[in-house]
Amino acid sequence: MNRSLWFVLLAVALIAVACTAPAAAPSSSSAPASSSASASSVAAEPIILGVPTALGTIEGGDSLKAAQMAVDEINAKGGVSVGGKKRPLKIVSIDTREAEAGIPVNDALAAVEKLILEQKPHAIVVGAFRSEVLPASMDLIAKYKIPYMTSIGMSPTLQQKVTEDYAKYKYVFRNGLNSSYLVMYLNETMKFLGTEFGFKKAYLAYQDVAWAKGTAGGVEAWFKSNGWEVVGSDAYPTGATEFSSSLNKAKDGKAQVFVPIFDMPQSGILLKQARATQLPAVLAGFISPVAPATAWKTFEGDVDGMVNFIFEIGPLPVKGIPASVTFNDNFAKKYGEEARAKMSGHGPGPAYDSVYIFAAAIEKAGSLDADAVVTALEATDYNGVVGRVKFGKDHQAVYGLDPKEASVGAAFQWRNGNRVPVFPAVAAESKIQLPTFK
Amino acid sequence: MFASILVNGLVNSVILILTALGFSLTFGLSRVANFAVGGLYLFAGFAAWIFLRILGLPYAVAILLAIILTGILGAIIYQVLLVRVRGIELSEVIATFAVGVAILETFRWAGFVTYEFNLPSFFKGRLEILGTVIDYQRLIVIGVGLFLAVALWWFTHHTKIGLGLRGIAQDEHTALTLGIESDWAAMLSVAIGSALTAVAAVVILPLGIISINVGYEVLLLAIAVSVLGGLESTVGLVIAGLILGYAQVLTANFLGPQWMLVVYLAAIVTVLAVRPSGLLGRFKEIEERV
Repeated sequence: MNRSLWFVLLAVALIAVACTAPAAAPSSSSAPASSSASASSVAAEPIILGVPTALGTIEGGDSLKAAQMAVDEINAKGGVSVGGKKRPLKIVSIDTREAEAGIPVNDALAAVEKLILEQKPHAIVVGAFRSEVLPASMDLIAKYKIPYMTSIGMSPTLQQKVTEDYAKYKYVFRNGLNSSYLVMYLNETMKFLGTEFGFKKAYLAYQDVAWAKGTAGGVEAWFKSNGWEVVGSDAYPTGATEFSSSLNKAKDGKAQVFVPIFDMPQSGILLKQARATQLPAVLAGFISPVAPATAWKTFEGDVDGMVNFIFEIGPLPVKGIPASVTFNDNFAKKYGEEARAKMSGHGPGPAYDSVYIFAAAIEKAGSLDADAVVTALEATDYNGVVGRVKFGKDHQAVYGLDPKEASVGAAFQWRNGNRVPVFPAVAAESKIQLPTFK
Repeated sequence: MFASILVNGLVNSVILILTALGFSLTFGLSRVANFAVGGLYLFAGFAAWIFLRILGLPYAVAILLAIILTGILGAIIYQVLLVRVRGIELSEVIATFAVGVAILETFRWAGFVTYEFNLPSFFKGRLEILGTVIDYQRLIVIGVGLFLAVALWWFTHHTKIGLGLRGIAQDEHTALTLGIESDWAAMLSVAIGSALTAVAAVVILPLGIISINVGYEVLLLAIAVSVLGGLESTVGLVIAGLILGYAQVLTANFLGPQWMLVVYLAAIVTVLAVRPSGLLGRFKEIEERV
């Protein structure tokens, strides 16, 4: 056969494969801008919000969608008032690919700088995905002096840097959960498991990345100082798909609680492998793909019994926090019920709030001057879908157990296909129950 | 612990053997180093996923179509690219590696990057062996792996086509004088190797998820196992799979899972330094002596 014909066949095959790609394709087009911005606001020069993050992850992709939803809502009401003139918001995004195995921090930073230089954003929302990228991004932000609010990266280094060199790093804020608060939530859950069921033996398996290592270290320290035996603790490289060795060691060591801490898409398979090894332990921690409402179907019910965290209320509709229910309803209306059901447990809530927080700060500052906006941001006291948002002096939003006082995260337990909120008390619809090990 | 290592080591070993089978067979039969193996592995996985989840075909049909399509893709790769650089080993490696990366990155570009891309187990359930619970899918992996290893040995040693293909690998000019058309034989070996890689994909992927980095990992594993065993030896492949499989499980159990990758890299470096022909390699061994 003619060689050029072979080539055409190959090209057609590749294009056919590409065309059958699901709607989850990670690009800014997955969060289409609304055309509902009023004619008057569209005419004004837009306020640019940059979103440089790992758009291929569910956290990054859904956070972009949530931020876009907030932008469209604000634009539909006429936009943001700057010095008495209404201006629309506009989101520009870039995929840093930082969550992928083998992508160095430098590549992610180059993407962030490209966005800054080419799109000239007035502020940045969502921000770094990987905790390794966040501290390095802070130096870029300090260089260009752009107000920046991250909703995903969890490294406590952010607070440390802001505290140590305020003048340089004051532009950086975080309204998402950090590792320290996650450790606090996990420890509260372990305390409950110890008190309620008399558990005293645990096993930790975590992703070999900064936030997960920090979280595992904090939980392990708590276990040891509270009389628990840590049967074992294993780190897995990003992209790992085989967790049997930890599961078998946990089983042999008679661990009663298995604490997984992963944000990579591959980690969901740990549940299937846990069922295959018949591990008789409660799984309680964070596995990113287990957070969405679709996880039951995706993992064919193997998620049953797992206690998984939603880092920030928002993606989990909780009756005790009505704003979270409204957020879910609106997300479903805008992107469809399937997209809502697939929403990540980390990022979308604070990403949505961050747009409103910036809008309020810009209006309060009366200009887009970075220093003035930062001063306004520091005075934030906002009731959002994650609860009450107030920043500490270290520019970290305060997290707690009461949404009237602070932002809150939650834990739910998978039971018969449903995510049942079990923590904290304000969100809980039931106590944690021991799963049937089958 | 011992029983668990024994059982899981066997499963892991067979996974490695299956993963490397297509790569090793292609090289053994036609001396073509198909570095597109990672891309073909993922192509088969995603093809099966599309047939099953998007087109709603029965699982068995989806798997069969994925294997056939991957075999055809292998033949296309040979006809479009490899036939032009046949015999220039470095060019073959570069060309096939580029194709593999192109396939993987096309899927990444198309958005095939979330946790949703997984294949269901063939059968749900498990049984206990030596006190270690093992699910049916892993038993299927063992069964398919052992069957294919034996079947391929028989095919290459006791069938006319297999013997003809081996003849090309041993001495192309002599084989030509006996009426064996070398381009056709090489295309067939790449197609069969690609289809075998697809079999490995559809059997192994239900244990994990279909993720882009799996494609890159598969290439590394295939090279490690094939280099250790000897590129053209099926028996060497099985022995290498067992050595690396058990070494990996022992490493995960006693040093930690983050060290597992080091096992492969160390194996490649050690073999290349000490015995470049691999454990049971023959062709290269003769060249080394010369």
